[in-house]
Amino acid sequence: MSAPLILLPGDEVLRDHLPSNNSNPLKLGPGLRLLSQPSSKSKAGNHVLTATQAGLVTTDAKRNTVSILSFSNRRYIPTVNDLVIAQIHHSSIDYFHCMVTPHTAHALLGQLSFEGATKKTRPMLKQGELVYARVLSIGVGAGAEVELTCVNPATGKSEPGGLGPLVGGMVFDVSTGMAARLLRASSSSSEQSDTIDGLTVVSELGKKLESLGGFELAVGRNGKVWVDCSNAGDSAIKATIAIGRCLQTTDEKNLNPADQKKLVTRTLREMNLAS
Amino acid sequence: MATPAATAAPSVPPSLSLPPSQFARLQPHAYLLAHLCPPSASNQPSIRANGRAPSQFRVTSANAGSLTHTNGSAVVRIGDTAAVCGVRAELLHTEDIASWSVSQASGSNKRRRLADLGGKPSEEEDDEDTEEDRAHIEDLNLLVPNLSLSTGCAPGFIPGAAPSALAQSLSHQILSLLHSTRLVRADDLRVWYQPPNLGPEEPERHNEDEPMDMDAEQSATAEEKPREIKAFWVLYIDIMIISLAGNPFDAAWAAVLAALRDTKLPKAWWDVDNETIVCSDSVADARKLSLRGLPVSSSFGVFEADAAAGWRAHVIPDVTEQEQKGKKGSPERWILADPDGYEEGLIQERASIVVDKEKDGKTTIVRMEKNGGWTVDTEDLRQLVEISGRRWDEMKRILDQC
Amino acid sequence: MVGPTASLSNLSRADGSASFKCPTTGCSVLGSVNAPIELPARRDALKPEEATVEVFVKPGNTTAGVGERYVEGILRTMLQKVILGRERGFARRGVVITLAIIGGDAVERGDSYLTLLPALLQTALLALLSAAVPMSMTFSTALLAVTKSGDIISDPSPVDAKTASSLHVLAFSSKGHLLLNESQGRFDFDTWEFVRERAYSTCRGAVVAGSDGDIAMDEEGEEGRADGFIRETVEDHLHRDYAWKIDSA
Repeated sequence: MSAPLILLPGDEVLRDHLPSNNSNPLKLGPGLRLLSQPSSKSKAGNHVLTATQAGLVTTDAKRNTVSILSFSNRRYIPTVNDLVIAQIHHSSIDYFHCMVTPHTAHALLGQLSFEGATKKTRPMLKQGELVYARVLSIGVGAGAEVELTCVNPATGKSEPGGLGPLVGGMVFDVSTGMAARLLRASSSSSEQSDTIDGLTVVSELGKKLESLGGFELAVGRNGKVWVDCSNAGDSAIKATIAIGRCLQTTDEKNLNPADQKKLVTRTLREMNLAS
Repeated sequence: MATPAATAAPSVPPSLSLPPSQFARLQPHAYLLAHLCPPSASNQPSIRANGRAPSQFRVTSANAGSLTHTNGSAVVRIGDTAAVCGVRAELLHTEDIASWSVSQASGSNKRRRLADLGGKPSEEEDDEDTEEDRAHIEDLNLLVPNLSLSTGCAPGFIPGAAPSALAQSLSHQILSLLHSTRLVRADDLRVWYQPPNLGPEEPERHNEDEPMDMDAEQSATAEEKPREIKAFWVLYIDIMIISLAGNPFDAAWAAVLAALRDTKLPKAWWDVDNETIVCSDSVADARKLSLRGLPVSSSFGVFEADAAAGWRAHVIPDVTEQEQKGKKGSPERWILADPDGYEEGLIQERASIVVDKEKDGKTTIVRMEKNGGWTVDTEDLRQLVEISGRRWDEMKRILDQC
Repeated sequence: MVGPTASLSNLSRADGSASFKCPTTGCSVLGSVNAPIELPARRDALKPEEATVEVFVKPGNTTAGVGERYVEGILRTMLQKVILGRERGFARRGVVITLAIIGGDAVERGDSYLTLLPALLQTALLALLSAAVPMSMTFSTALLAVTKSGDIISDPSPVDAKTASSLHVLAFSSKGHLLLNESQGRFDFDTWEFVRERAYSTCRGAVVAGSDGDIAMDEEGEEGRADGFIRETVEDHLHRDYAWKIDSA
């Protein structure tokens, strides 16, 4: 596709924009729906794909999917299997009550849904502590509770790695769109290239801060990024702040890869971290 | 699901064990659809569940002057929807209007012309005249309609509840229609005073010799001493819907119209000695309002055959496709005039048309609204205007009789 | 003629927001949309299988009164038809649209809201798009006035609107349906048909038969079309948001 295809609700997705791979059924992402043509003159089974949201059409030929990317700075609405960073609000007998998004009902995280947790060994999380968790279920209908988990219920392991309490470090707020990009960038193998989804800031920071001992990053779909540089010794706090600042500026100003590199260099120099 | 629709023709076949009234409650959409679209085998005509033809209005009756303590009142009943309207007139002294002297000074030129025109509204109005009318009635809020939906007028109206959004928006609709049609002439609401010409240099003397040569002075010196407005009548128009069975606006507006036609304002004049306004007790002195035209409102609702249209993932056809289909196919929707409460629950798209007819019988549209759907367009609206024109004749007859 | 201006997602807390400013009519509206959102206080009004659409209009200088209730009703009926309230996650929840009038002439008590209605509708649409609320179609609106001499002017100034013999607000869907018509004043049906034609060409730019439509096309061109304006605003914003994606592709 040459020109980016931007649709408004009610617009049709033409056949030439869809992935041509016909072996697998086409998967529809959010913002699209399949409508049948009610006209009697043509043959039955005449289907049309239309957009229901305004956005950019993206297709993935490998996975045979098509979806619409809508505006990025949206409120996070929990969806099953999303990775989120939640903050413990209080704890009850069976559950930790966590905040995923502000001003919404608390999400529930089972006291035992941690890797290897038993009645004796479960983590004693206090108010304000952070967990990296996966959305297990979102319930049905209004007033339903969102349930989180830190283990894969099938295997009992914390999959993917890193689920569980987040100790140390600091959380930064980014837009949900940025969080999704960061997650996509981390899931695709980072060896291929430096820039995935137009994001080079993380790999650039990684290179620059390698001498300080590197850093850990956890990204929640709810627009939170947890950064920890406890290996960096004295300059740990500085480095944490620098990473958070770089991510937030990239998000706010929508920087392109070249500008992201410049931003990283400048920020690190300003904070006397440049190696 | 399709079978009840087929068997629900007005004559109940033995296979249906439910009485029609229960069926109407359980499957309201299918019930109405079965009436409007009877199976071709039965020779039933297409008719609404309430026995009316699609473009037929409910039986309307009006009665004016039923409330004795008001200046004008009316009760209008359209089917089971009943509205009572009372008009109460109160005096507003120009001295009590904060901005009066300011607005007078700026508008004095225009005002003098108006004074020359005299109190009688001429048949073909001057532009200035209507502009002045508008300014006085709208800026000074001389018309104050308020509509309330009385407790128990329909299930769901409980005592002590705040005015519902429906009542508020109906109040606004009536006010804005009163303003935009300029139904009430501002001149009917003005209380004039003609100061006697006593010579500009000695105004204090005017108490002594005033009343007897008032008439002579008025004709001789109208040029020098313009008449002044001493007060306005403010009309408080209170409407109460005592029974709500669909289409409250038509009933409310008809009640307002009938009440205003019934309204008599007592003769009022400025008493110089007491420096106050005095009203005459005599009924013979009271005069009626001279209204501009007789705008009549008719409302319509569109009933769609496909109850589950909102559920089905169908392509909404383009306008051109829709037209082609509309020509050949059977009607997929019916435009129902004056929907009752039962039908209103099944209707999303609505249209409301207010028309007036001039002396030569030409229909003028005063307001036309349609909202809530995409099936009604030019051709339908043209028909609806025609129906509204016929409704105007009917309403005029009813209002003239009351 | 200066066209309207609009921007999207101005508010960071709301799910979607938009501001809209029309220089000829002088009105300026800021809108926000929150959806889907729980409406615990409205449990009685919630529908079991659909989203509840709530519209609030806040006038610039006073509290909301009966006029606002009325215009809220118009907006709600119209938007309910366009919003797909049965999509996943929307049933039994609310779509709350708040529109604040932040500039332009205030609407007096009993005045018609028609002069502001198009701006309110456009803002609501842009805010809904920005909140990614699923919709079956978009729409575009036109405000037209018929002067005493019978001329049709689009986007009349407040003075023109006051002196006009009739005022019309029309909204057309992106598929060409007449979604909304609000007409006020004294006019006959033939006048309204001319108004409709003219409104259709300002909204959708389609060439229509008749000399009136052609004239309208000449002065407006592709640029001035109301539906094109919505599309451009959305495209501009998406281009900025997804610059990384579009550049790399």
